[in-house]
Parts: sequence; structure tokens; C-alpha cells
Amino acid sequence: MVKNPRWVAYVLIFIILLFIPRLLSIHDLMLFEYGLTFAIVGLGFNLLLGYTGLLSFGHGAYFAVGAYTVGMIAKYFPGAYSLEILIPAALLFSLIISIIFGFVCVRHTKIFFSILALSLSMLLYALLFKLYHLTGGSDGLRVPLPTLLGISFKGIRRPEFLSGTYYYFLLVLFAISCVIMRGIVSSPFGKALQAIRDNEVRAELIGIRVRRYRLYAFIISGMFVGLGGALWSFVNGHVTADLSHWVFSGEIVYMTLLGGFGILEGPIIGAILFTYLKLYAMGNTQYWMFVIGATLIVLVLLLPNGVAGAIASLLAKIKRKTVKGTPC
Amino acid sequence: MWVIYTLNGLYFAALLFLTSLGLNIILGVMGILNLAHGSLYAIGAFIAAWTIIQIVGKVPVFILFVSLLSGLVLAGIVGFLMEKSLIRAMYKRTLEYQLLLTFGALLLLEDVIKMIWGGQAYYASAPFELLGKVDILGHVYPIYFLFVMFITFLAGLFIWFFMGRTKLGIMLRAISLDREMATGLGLDIGRLSTFAFVLGSGLAGLAGALVVPTTPALLGIGMEPLILAFIVVVVGGLGSLKGALVGALLVGFTRSFGIAIIPEIELPLLFMIAGIILVVKPQGLFGR
Amino acid sequence: MGATAVSVGALGGGTKAIGQAKRPIPTTPIKIAAVSFLTGAAAAPFGIPGDNTYKMCADVINKEGGILGRKIELLSKDENGGVDAQVKLARKLILEDKVDVDLGYISSASCLAVLPLADESGGLIVAYDCGTHELMEGKKSPYEVPNFKLGFRSSAHLGIDNIGLALFIKKYYPNIKKIAGINQDYAWGRDSWLIFETAMKKLMPQVQVVKTLWPPLGNTDFTAHISALIGAEPDIVHSSLWGGDAVTFTKQALGMDYFKKIKMAYSRGEPYPQEVGKDYPEEQIICCAGTHYFLFTPPDKTSAGLQKWFVGEYQKRYGKYPTYPCYHAYQALYAYKNAVEKAAKTAGGWPTIEEIAKAMTGLTFPSPSGNITIREDHNAIEDVLIGISKLTPKYPFPILDPKRMEIFPAAQVNAPVGMRTVDWINSWK
Repeated sequence: MVKNPRWVAYVLIFIILLFIPRLLSIHDLMLFEYGLTFAIVGLGFNLLLGYTGLLSFGHGAYFAVGAYTVGMIAKYFPGAYSLEILIPAALLFSLIISIIFGFVCVRHTKIFFSILALSLSMLLYALLFKLYHLTGGSDGLRVPLPTLLGISFKGIRRPEFLSGTYYYFLLVLFAISCVIMRGIVSSPFGKALQAIRDNEVRAELIGIRVRRYRLYAFIISGMFVGLGGALWSFVNGHVTADLSHWVFSGEIVYMTLLGGFGILEGPIIGAILFTYLKLYAMGNTQYWMFVIGATLIVLVLLLPNGVAGAIASLLAKIKRKTVKGTPC
Repeated sequence: MWVIYTLNGLYFAALLFLTSLGLNIILGVMGILNLAHGSLYAIGAFIAAWTIIQIVGKVPVFILFVSLLSGLVLAGIVGFLMEKSLIRAMYKRTLEYQLLLTFGALLLLEDVIKMIWGGQAYYASAPFELLGKVDILGHVYPIYFLFVMFITFLAGLFIWFFMGRTKLGIMLRAISLDREMATGLGLDIGRLSTFAFVLGSGLAGLAGALVVPTTPALLGIGMEPLILAFIVVVVGGLGSLKGALVGALLVGFTRSFGIAIIPEIELPLLFMIAGIILVVKPQGLFGR
Repeated sequence: MGATAVSVGALGGGTKAIGQAKRPIPTTPIKIAAVSFLTGAAAAPFGIPGDNTYKMCADVINKEGGILGRKIELLSKDENGGVDAQVKLARKLILEDKVDVDLGYISSASCLAVLPLADESGGLIVAYDCGTHELMEGKKSPYEVPNFKLGFRSSAHLGIDNIGLALFIKKYYPNIKKIAGINQDYAWGRDSWLIFETAMKKLMPQVQVVKTLWPPLGNTDFTAHISALIGAEPDIVHSSLWGGDAVTFTKQALGMDYFKKIKMAYSRGEPYPQEVGKDYPEEQIICCAGTHYFLFTPPDKTSAGLQKWFVGEYQKRYGKYPTYPCYHAYQALYAYKNAVEKAAKTAGGWPTIEEIAKAMTGLTFPSPSGNITIREDHNAIEDVLIGISKLTPKYPFPILDPKRMEIFPAAQVNAPVGMRTVDWINSWK
């Protein structure tokens, strides 16, 4: 695959994204930002699913960790409430929790792995819900506007904050996440993960330390998801325990599948599509769960490689046709 | 009071056992975690409640109780349809797709239930009231709870006998122990899997039906039983029927006595038990 | 009764002194979003009755000409799907769909997350049913009001229910020795018990709390809890259980002869006698989340007339007597309507959102439950009605015994502006 055109395309897209605040209405921009934060989540989640072959229905836990780090610091350490502290803190706590949970989960595979991941996230959910005096319980925590490198945003409203400085902050972090993820995936580590996914026994035989690498993948994915959660919390303004509930984790899986987990860019597309899909379903019908469920089923049956996968196959087909040299 | 606390624990354990039994059978035989298990429970609850409301007062009491089986039947039918349409299509594929399909089915079924039965609550307490109360050592206890325990006992006995003594049951166990070998021996995996799925779904529906005389059928009624069944499966061990029984009893008694002695601990207690088991013996008490 | 159509011409009396440009009243319909739980466990007891009422009132208002001649276009939305979905939905309603007002929200989590969006997005939001006292209260007393410029709550919070219960118990059961509590283990249950316990400690310090139970939301098996309570032998048990949980508890408790020895005091128990039917036990203490009760006749004539119409109309359309969420929904819609009409008089035309908000602050308007006032802290205050269940031949379920009903006036059960409820209770002599 020729690398140059891809990088050119990425840079072009990045430049276009810089102009998005001028093109979209405030409402659409906020929706887009939801999509961007979930794109970061999807990228991380896909490292575990697409590249390592492990399906977790419990990644909401790390999202919640990232989001609650922000919420708790806002509540208990308002003096430290600035982005340059919040983001590393969120990464740190996601790291810690993914190490702990990951250690328990990666000792098993397939169904048991999924069940464990789910159970652990529900344990966190129960804790967040129960420790009401600490975490706000079912009421959740408010996420006010943070400061950034000493710049305070007092006096401006959230939509202005989100369409101004924050958008660029988010975009830069998103770009960095993409670059990092691409790096991981193309590295020997990334190749090893794919080898583990394809044939665990053979990978073990050629000397890859399967369990350890799985744990690393788990931790990296947890940190990406936690970062996404923290960034998301400013857009939403409020965090609640349902972020750790397995149904929310199911949405993360859905997005990744929607976009396609065979390709790097897949989850990004899936994240943005799902954000709009759910909102418009909820806005237009009372049977929105039916719509989401039905689209999921149709997707799995007809487009198992997701939207990105379908586009990729389409492009491949077109390429083949032109290569074959149709006259004219 | 301690007798009543014990009975309470048994009652909760009975319902847990029935719900997780179905989940475990499907898990064991097909290796599929049916996330829509709670929806089947809910379907059982709604159809039983609706049926009882339609026929109450018009039929002999005995029929009223038999109508609880409608939960078993409808859930079994839905399970059959699910298996044939969705699960079957995914046999060749990987785990992810199966889980996602059952997740999609969960979302779908929640709204289908709403489309059919609407948003109101369905009360079907006639069976509960008709059976009356009994005096146990000076305390009053509703006979209906004893009835539920009895039915669950019968169900458990049936499954044990079925799995252990009948040809069909042994074939199912063979598949759960070693799928490839079973295929090699010529077992019709397809038909047997469908059967297992229907059986598991039916059990979920039965559990839902048994509950409605004591609690209204409401949207979302299947969500908590799903999580509880999960915990029992984790604690007892995947695919193990003995594990489901022991897990259910453990959870049931700890909860019942826990509430009486240290009420604060109620919600996290179940997760704590699961957590301890996960750390000490990750494959569950009787898991492989 | 209801609204009368007011055209621009008839407003002519309230002219501004200098160079007023009369703002024309648009002929397009008013978009009103009504967000309630249409799915999930809160749908049957609250969301659907609330939604029914919105539809009913919008219909009636439109038949009578609408608000200032403009018809209402009601958009019913589902409050389910998670708090983040509600935040997105509220933003969409305000910024994209450009609704004139967003009425809704039963769950405290939704309210806490959504109400700040009013000021953020510049839209009017009126919360109608959520109970948390934390919504408008600051961290310390005294706190600045209002918390939100464009956010309001058109019903009183759970303080009135739980303070009211304590006052009632002191008056009617002054000799009890032991109480207990069974509340759902989440913010609603915790907050309700907190206010009740604080008030009881002040009013009846000699009473001992023998047990507090915390079943999870959606619990279907209360047998263990019932046994635990029977074992602890309290005289009265406080509960904020709602919906299916309240009904399940009652039925299972009946089966275990619980009510032979123990009385319940329900902080929002008004709907459940009707739900359970004639089996619902007598002698239970029931609070109506305000004065929302189908057999209550408010003292002022306008409200009394509204109540008669309201109960009759709801029954005609939906086959049941209205319950407190229905009254709350009425209050939200009519708070908006009355505020618009009041603001229009000074504005000389269709008022802006800021003008409507200004008019809603300090607004008093009649309702089927009596006059409702929304204070300068944007929170409504209400009197609270508490009674004791009793079977009568006229109704197929227990009603509140008219000989032992109490109405506690708003000033006695609502904390003053700027003071936290808990601090206020603790300051009583």
C-alpha cells in the first residue's frame, strides 16, 4: 500500500477539520465534538478488539474513570481544575484501573474474558452508584469549565468555550491519538498483537508472550478510552454512573462495529455516525431502541466489516476494475 | 424469625437459580452468552400477567396456575425464532458477532414488548392471593413463595434428570464438553443447539412468569435478573448446573441474612461475592 | 376555566409610554417539548400520566384558542436512554428544533444535568417532577439565587413531603417510640430519608431509629426487607418507594401480615391506593407531594373550579383519577402559559425568553391543587397534604380519611429563599 497518498489525505482532513467551527452551527459542532471524543474511545477500543481479538463489554469502566476523574477533581480539588492537570490525571487513573482489571481479565479468553470485563465494569458501576456522598451516586457530578494553562474561561458559556479554544484542544489531542495509534499498530508490538489474534498457539510458539502482550493492549486501550471519557465530560457537562454500565459499553462496541473494526479509521467513522444515529432516533420516535437494535442486527448480518469496511471493499473493487484496464 | 430469613433466602435463591439455569445451558452447550436473556424473562412475565388478567375469575383456579406456563411457552417460541434467524447465521463467525446480535436483540425486544404491551404496569396477583398464608413458628409466610420454590425444585430435578439420564441430554452435555468431538461423532449440532436455546429461553420465561403474581410486569423488568444471573454464572462457574445451584444458594442466603443484619451492604454485597470468587477462583466454584 | 384567547387588539390597553413598537404576535404555533419517561420503570407511574396530562392540556388550550392566539405544537419525548442522551436531546430541542420551552424531567439526574443547559444554550427549561432539593440549593447557607436565569422548577421539591410527614407524625402519633426507614438506594431515597430523619430528630428527639433499609431501585423481592422490619418492631416506617417497587412491597407485605403491626409513612404515596386497589391497607400515612389529590378542593374559587374540570377531564380521557405527576405536568405547562400572558402585557406583544423568565419569577397562578407560587429562586413552593388511608364504599380503593387530613402551609415546609433545607430544619427551635 503506498503510504504517501494516505498521509496526504490525513493532513488534508486535519486542515479541513480546523475550519469546522466556521462551517457548522454550534449545535452541530457540539455533536461533532461528542463524535470526536468517541472516536478516540473507538481507536483505543479497537486496539483490543480488532487487533488483539478480545471483545470487552466492559470498557465503559475506563470511560467512567476518565470522566469521574474530572468530576471528582472539580468537586474536591477545584484549585487543580485545569486541563493540563486533568488530562494526565485521567490518563493516570485509567492506567491504574486497567492494570488491575486487565490483570484479572487477560488470563482468560473469548466468552470468559467478555464476562469478566462486563462484571468488573458493573462492579465499578455499583460502587459509583452506591458511594453517593462521594461520587454523587445516581445524581452524578457536574463538570464546570476548566482553565487551560492559566487562561480562565469564567464568564463565557459552555457553547462558546466548546466552539472556541476547546475545539482546537480536542482536535489536537485527537490527531495525536491517531498518530500514536497508527504508530502502535504498525510497530512490531502491533504485529505481534495481530499474530495473537489470528492464532494464539502459534504466536506462543514463536516466542510472543501472549498474556503479557494482551495485558499491554488492554492497558493502552483503557487509557485511550479514559482519555476519551475525560474529554467527553467537558462537552456533556455532567457525568453519571451509567457510563460504567454494560449497556453503555455495548454502545462502544456498537460504534466500533458500525465503523468497521478491520481498519484503523473504522471506529472514527463509527463513532461519528453512531452519535447522530442515536440522537436522531431518540428525537424522532419513541421506539428508538428498536431502531438502534434493528440497525445493529442488519449491520452484523449484512455489513460485518462496518461502514468503513464496506467502503474499503468498494474502493478495492473499483481499483481492480480500473487496473484491469477497462477501455476508454 | 430466623426460619423466615432462611425461607426468604431460599425464595430468592430459587428465582436466581431458575434464571441462571437457562443462561448456563445456552452458555454451556452453545458457548453463547445471550445478552437478551433478560428480555426473554420479561416476555415471560408480560404474557403470564396479561393472560392471568384476561382469564381471572372466569376459569377454575387450577387453570390460573397452569397459565403461568404461558411464560415458558412464549419465551421458548421467541427463543426459537431468535436462534433460527440470528444465531444460526452467525455460527461460522466469531464470538463478537454473536454477542452483538444478542445485544441488538435485547434492544429490539425491549421495544417490541413496549409495542405490544404498552407502558403500563400489569398486575396479576390472583395466584399469590389465592394460595393464602401459612403460620410458621408464629410468623406468617405466603404459601405462594413455597409454591415457587417447589416449581423451581421440579425444574431443577427435571433438568438434572434430563441432562444425566436421557439420550438427548447426554448429547447436549457432549456438545458442551467438546464441540468438535461431538460433531465428529455425528451429532446434529444444529438441531441440538436450537433445542438448547429454546430450553434455556423457556426457563427464563418461566422465571419471569413465576414472579408476576408478586410484582407487576413493567418495562425494564428483565434488566436486573440478567445481571443477577450473570453474577451466579460467574460465581458458580460457566456451564455448570451444580455451580448455578450453589451460586444461587450462596447469593440468596448471604443477601437475606445480610439485609437482616447489616442492611447497608445490600447492593454491593453481590458484587463483592463475585469479586472474591473472581480473585480466588476465577473460573467459578465448579467451573472448568 | 382554562385560557381565553387574547388577540393583539385586546392588549391595546397596556401600551408603553414612549415610542413603543408593538411586537406582532406570530401566527406560527408554539413549540413545546415535553420530556418524560415513556419507557422504563418510571414510565407507568410517572412518565405516562405526565405525558397524558401534557397532551390533554395542550389540546384543551388549543381548543380555546391557544396562548395569545397561537396554537401549541406539543413534542413528546422520552426521558430514557441515559443522562448524556438527555443532554444531547435538550440541546437539540433548544438549538436546532428551536422549541419555545422545554418542559420535563422526572429523574433528578436528568434535572441536574439538563437545567444548566438553559443558561448555556439560551433556552427556557421548566423541570416538572424531579424531587432533589439540591437542584436549586447552593453549597452553603445563605446561597445566591437564582441558580439558573432561564431554568425553573414548577413543583416543590422532596423537602415538603418529608418535613410534612414529620409534622404529621408529631401531631397524630406523639407517643411512638421507634421508627425505621425503607428507601431505594440512590439519591432520591437517600435525600428523602435525610430530610425526614433531620426533621424527626428536631421534632421528636425521643424517637429512636431502629432500622434503615436500602433496597436497590427495581428490586422485586422485598421478603427479606419485610422480615427485617418485622423483626425490628418499629411503630412507623418511612418510605419514599415509588412505582412498581411500592406496589410490590405492599403486596408482598400484605402476604406476610406486615401491616398488622406496622404503619407506613409514604413521602409520595398518593398514587398507590388507586394502583393497588381495595387490598391497599388502611391506616397508612400518605403524603401527596403537594396538595395533589383528586378529592381535595382548594380554598380559592378559581382553583376549585380547575380541580373539578381537571379530575373530570382526565378521567374521561384516560379512565383513571389523576395522580400527582399529572398535577405537576399541569403546573409546568400553565406556569409557562401564565408567564407568557403576564410578560405580554408589559411587552406589548409576544415576549422574549428573558421577559418570560422574568415574568415567571415570583409568579403566582391558580391550578387544580390551589395557587402555586414560583419564588425568586426559581423554585416553586407548595402546601402539602397528608392523610390516612381508609376504605369507603364509594371508591374501589382506600381514600384519605377526610377527618384526619392535614394541610401544612408552604411556609411551614419549604425552606426560605437562600437557605439550605437541612440548615433550616436544624435552625428550628
